[in-house]
Amino acid sequence: MMEELFNAIVDLREEDALKIAREMVKDVGAVKVLDTCKKAMEVVGEKFEGGEYFLSELIWAGDLFKQIMEFTLPALQQGEVKKVGTMVLGTVQGDVHDIGKNIFKVMVEASGIEVFDIGIDLPPEKFVEAVEKHKPDLVGMSCLIASSLNAMKHTVDALKEAGLRDNVKIIIGGGRVSEPVMKYTGADAWADDAARGVRLSNELIGKKG
Amino acid sequence: MLQKRRERLLAAAELKEPDRVPMMGFAGDIVAAYAGFTSYEVHYDFDKARQAAVKFLQDFPSEMSLAGLFGVNNFVPALIFSDSPDLAQGLSIVSGPVHDILKDKYSRFPGRELSENSSSQFIGGTYMQPEEYDEFIADPVKFSFEKVLPRTAENLKDICSPKAMATMIRLGMEMSSQGEKTRAMFADLMQLGIPPLPMGFGYAPLDYIADYLRDIPNLIMDLRNYPEKVKAAAEATVEPIFNLAITAKAMGSPFVFFPLHLNEYLSPRLYKEFYWPTLKELIVRLLDEGIKSHVFFEGRHDAHLETILELPKGWGIAYFEKTDVRKAKKVLQGHTCVCGGLRASLVIGGTPEENDRYVKELLEEVMPGGGFILAPDVAALPRETPIENLRAVYEAVERYGYY
Ligand code: B12
Repeated sequence: MMEELFNAIVDLREEDALKIAREMVKDVGAVKVLDTCKKAMEVVGEKFEGGEYFLSELIWAGDLFKQIMEFTLPALQQGEVKKVGTMVLGTVQGDVHDIGKNIFKVMVEASGIEVFDIGIDLPPEKFVEAVEKHKPDLVGMSCLIASSLNAMKHTVDALKEAGLRDNVKIIIGGGRVSEPVMKYTGADAWADDAARGVRLSNELIGKKG
Repeated sequence: MLQKRRERLLAAAELKEPDRVPMMGFAGDIVAAYAGFTSYEVHYDFDKARQAAVKFLQDFPSEMSLAGLFGVNNFVPALIFSDSPDLAQGLSIVSGPVHDILKDKYSRFPGRELSENSSSQFIGGTYMQPEEYDEFIADPVKFSFEKVLPRTAENLKDICSPKAMATMIRLGMEMSSQGEKTRAMFADLMQLGIPPLPMGFGYAPLDYIADYLRDIPNLIMDLRNYPEKVKAAAEATVEPIFNLAITAKAMGSPFVFFPLHLNEYLSPRLYKEFYWPTLKELIVRLLDEGIKSHVFFEGRHDAHLETILELPKGWGIAYFEKTDVRKAKKVLQGHTCVCGGLRASLVIGGTPEENDRYVKELLEEVMPGGGFILAPDVAALPRETPIENLRAVYEAVERYGYY
């Protein structure tokens, strides 16, 4: 059954996946469903990185995952799953693009990281506030426009000023980030595709230890 | 110089080698900053926009430029008036004053929703529900007029009201004053020897539906949930977009510009089934009328590169953002003029030496054989762009760009 669910998600057979997942929640429990979904989403990410899947498939897979979570998460018992870590995620000031951020969010959540999504067009103070409030392991910033690259730097600087920089690892993402942009902004990692972002986020949490 | 620059462009589009590689220049907020204006000033005062464009293009001349054009694309009014060639093209860009007159929700402007030094922004939204596809398909222009316009322009909310009429009259008055000022700007540019291309705009039919009606993620879900309706909607939009795009001919523009958005999102299967057929039809029909298309394949277009070869040879200009132009040139050599290659990120974050070397190495590879136009992956540069880097790029083109 787990394999059937896994295959249905990877092949994006929505009806099948939903039906099997519903039965599984009843029969073998929500944790197994969650685990299977995670593994399947990982493979979807790999297929995207490998060029077999496109953003259209990532969006479909994300939607399917969300639908399954709607009835799976409420069925989980307290403390039944352990989180790998937490992340505050948002799109930086001046930028309203969020399609990529939302795709990344679903994928990184599927990998076991709890995400506090604080929205779009966020001034540095909002990131600082959210870090103070949630005390996350990671901060994820999304940016798709050149004119907001500075906003990422300002956000990193604001975290430094607030004395929070050393408590978190920072990963940046979005279509126009790169190695030089990462250095310029003072972030710890960068990814311009979701699968790489998920991998690096998990690595950063490992390093943080 | 004017004539020479125009010939460079046309020669490259004809897949030939001009005397020097033609260049599409940078634009955006840097143009305002360079002349000492705020972003708000150039968005709301056409004389300042004109002064800024002249100052910038004097120091950074190019064969084609969007410098001085401040505003956002909104294709809805343009499509609605697609049967009135005298109005349609002028309406495809929303300026600051037009934004105020319409109170449109698609965009945000400096000095209004944004700070004075932000650039104007298109933010889109969802303005059609899936149940409305049939109504849209039956008559896209009527639907855009009766439903979309009132939903997206606060001052046209009740389209039959005196307030809406007053808004339309104000829009007309503004268009007439803008038209005059744009012509004055073109005259200035001609003096500088810069061909002021009165650029016509087109739009990929499926992008119209994604950008203005459904928003992108919703449209991708629609492809799954109502595939036949989406297809029919794209097909229904071809005719009005053609009517609009062909007005470029009367304006004396040799090109129609298509900015593409959904291309990067779609798998080859979806692209070929839902997106490409209607876009291809437009390109071919425009070519039959002697108009070439200048298509900006935004994002990564690698997976769909080969489909360009389905078009007749010399159909127009393929402009790439993230797809490597070296690779594109190899695939399209002798068939399609390739455009792109300059990296905005390097101009913003690199050094003059790095920019010089980058242009040199790029041109060595892509110039031979002609049919190439140098252009930025992203034309809009921020205010803080280091001028010495910009200078390095333009000097490098003069240094290494001659055939
Ligand atoms: C869709 C789109 C829009 C939509 C956005 C809708 C939305 N809700 O997001 C709308 C129409 C609103 C829009 C508006 C504008 N846009 Co726009 N837009 C695009 C477009 C076509 C696609 C962007 C996209 O969604 N890509 C797909 C996603 C999935 O990719 P992605 O974001 O990179 O995300 C992936 C990874 O980067 C990663 N990821 C994303 N976030 C994060 C975060 C972390 C932490 C990690 C680890 C990973 C990660 O995961 C994702 C999946 O792999 C691009 C062109 C292009 N093809 O890139 C232009 C583009 C980004 N837009 C651009 C511009 C200029 C604008 C406007 C300023 C235009 C204007 N003048 O009005 C406005 C500005 C709005 C603003 N202030 O932000 C330019 C940016 C140029 C630049 N570099 O400065 C582009 C590149 C177009 C162009 N070539 O000129 N746009």
